[in-house]
Amino acid sequence: MLKFLTSIRLTIFLLSFISIGSLFGTFIKQKASVEEYLSIYSENTYRIIRLLGLDDTYHSPWFFALIILFAVNLTICTLGRFTRFIRSERDMKLPDEHTLTNMEMHFQIQGKDSVEAIKKLKKRYHSIHEEEEGIVLEKGALSRYGALTIHASIIVILLGSFIGLIFGYKGFMVLKKGEVRDQITIRGDNTKERPLGFALRCKDFKASFYPGGEPKDYVSTVEVIENGNIVLEKNIRVNDPLNYKGIHVYQASYESTPSFLFNIGGENVILRERDTYKKNDLILMVARFEGMIHDFGPGVLIAYLEKGEPKTLWFLKDVERLREKNIQGTHIRLEDIRDELYTGLEVSKDPGVWIVWIGFAFILVGLYMNFFIYHRKVYIRKASNGIIVAGFASKNREAFNEEFERLKRTLW
Amino acid sequence: MVINHKVLGIVTLLYLLLFFMHILYFSLKKEKIITLIWVVLYITLGLHTFGLALRWIESYKLNIGHAPLSNFYESLIFYAWCVSFVQIMMKKRLSFPIITMLASLIALFFMGYASISPSIEKHIQPLIPALQSNWLHIHVITCFISYAAFVISFICGLLYLIKWKGVIPPEETLEEINYRSIVVGFPMLSAGILTGAVWAHYAWGSYWSWDPKETWSLITWIVYALFLHARFVKGWRGKRIAMLSIIGFLSVIFTYLGVNFILSGLHSYAT
Repeated sequence: MLKFLTSIRLTIFLLSFISIGSLFGTFIKQKASVEEYLSIYSENTYRIIRLLGLDDTYHSPWFFALIILFAVNLTICTLGRFTRFIRSERDMKLPDEHTLTNMEMHFQIQGKDSVEAIKKLKKRYHSIHEEEEGIVLEKGALSRYGALTIHASIIVILLGSFIGLIFGYKGFMVLKKGEVRDQITIRGDNTKERPLGFALRCKDFKASFYPGGEPKDYVSTVEVIENGNIVLEKNIRVNDPLNYKGIHVYQASYESTPSFLFNIGGENVILRERDTYKKNDLILMVARFEGMIHDFGPGVLIAYLEKGEPKTLWFLKDVERLREKNIQGTHIRLEDIRDELYTGLEVSKDPGVWIVWIGFAFILVGLYMNFFIYHRKVYIRKASNGIIVAGFASKNREAFNEEFERLKRTLW
Repeated sequence: MVINHKVLGIVTLLYLLLFFMHILYFSLKKEKIITLIWVVLYITLGLHTFGLALRWIESYKLNIGHAPLSNFYESLIFYAWCVSFVQIMMKKRLSFPIITMLASLIALFFMGYASISPSIEKHIQPLIPALQSNWLHIHVITCFISYAAFVISFICGLLYLIKWKGVIPPEETLEEINYRSIVVGFPMLSAGILTGAVWAHYAWGSYWSWDPKETWSLITWIVYALFLHARFVKGWRGKRIAMLSIIGFLSVIFTYLGVNFILSGLHSYAT
């Protein structure tokens, strides 16, 4: 069992399955509604998708299990590699004459004193083992830790992402200009609210556009309010989130909703779609808004009760005759239709992100060590009538060959 | 027509010329032609760089200044540039005209596709808010250098399987070049994914959101990681390694093109 857990065969198996699982996840729409799935797939296909968790592949139990197994496999392999490494360093020995002369790169110098040769080589290589008969030198030893560093970094990244998954959260907040909120909405199967610990107030929101109509900039000016005090003010832009106490607030979207300014019996009232207005016997509701009614411009459909009977009436802003009406003796006039801007803020907390960044940094260091430094060993051994010099590189032999030729020339 | 399009048009013709020069070499077998091919490749890359620089300058004249790395047209042009750049970086190893021929053919394809396809917006467009970041440069450059290195790996894999006598370099050499190109491509792809993740954290609010582009880049990364492990841990050589480099490149192409055309997601700047 342990042997299976540590085998590279398992690693290959897991990585292949993670890839194939991910691949399905990109082709099948994720986290869509039942209706959406049934409009694409047959009922039986949808049942299979649900059964396999392919409607939310990356959060399904089997995908999670694959990642956990991969983390375990990688950890054990990395540790095993590390201990083997230490052991081989401890058992360092100078190979015998026969082994050295059998190496691909070697030469002999007759009548040469080993002391002088060793002195010369020590300037270019680090001595790692010396004995009576000769010496073992090396260079680029760091490269052997490359793969180890990469693997350890991947474990660190996975660890960081688990921490984020367990202790972090992600939600959103929609704020109207001037509005204050201290709760975010968490998306999911059952949408719920979550207190932030502080409040955000949208001081201003601006969307600007290029002359061609493409979006140029979305900026929310947001105040952070804690215990009634404004502690921070920031312009949040798409690539420039607000960071307060480890909570990031991002500019994600914006919406505009029309609001309607009515004059009802001499009183100015702002109503939005679905709003109701009640005063004495008068009950009004904004039933619908249309941007263009035939050629008459924007209009608002008002529903009201007249003698217990529900009735509706269109108010058209651009038609003088149709923008006012008496309902139950009260004069009602549509004064204006305005667009109200809402800013959509994405809010997330991820305490694991720093661990992930550390993993990222080390993975790059590891890649550099592994691919751009190479390890080579040089051996010098006293022979019956001179010295034997041999060299070995596990990677990048061509480059080492040239280096070894240069070495040969300096020693002669 | 703007000047950058003219320059890039000439560059496209130069890639075509490079292809014909290779054909000429294979029919005449004169070593001098190879020297000439490299000279033309240097000139092409120089002019290509000039074309990109011009486009950059022209964007500033339009008051929407940004590096030419922001839409599908610019990515195709830059991909072709990277293919030539990687060839010149690996010049010492690429002394086999069949490899440079196929590479310039692929560069020609990207250039031609960019300029001929009617569905590709060729004008300089302003940067939308999501792309207004310094991470754009490092992310796009690392990704496309890796994509270009994988072109060389793909060519080596393909040539290994074709076994076309007389033209194909020796098998060990092909494997060595294949491995060397992955030595460039794999760290670059890793850097591309990581810079993308850091950028996503600042722009989208999450360093990894299983967006199709992200997922496919991970799949590609896994394929090349398998390549490296198969070679070094399992000692795979030959046909199986060649197959892996072809699968890897198919995954690269899907990450680059397939995701944009077939799947939708956050990375939809390209279509």
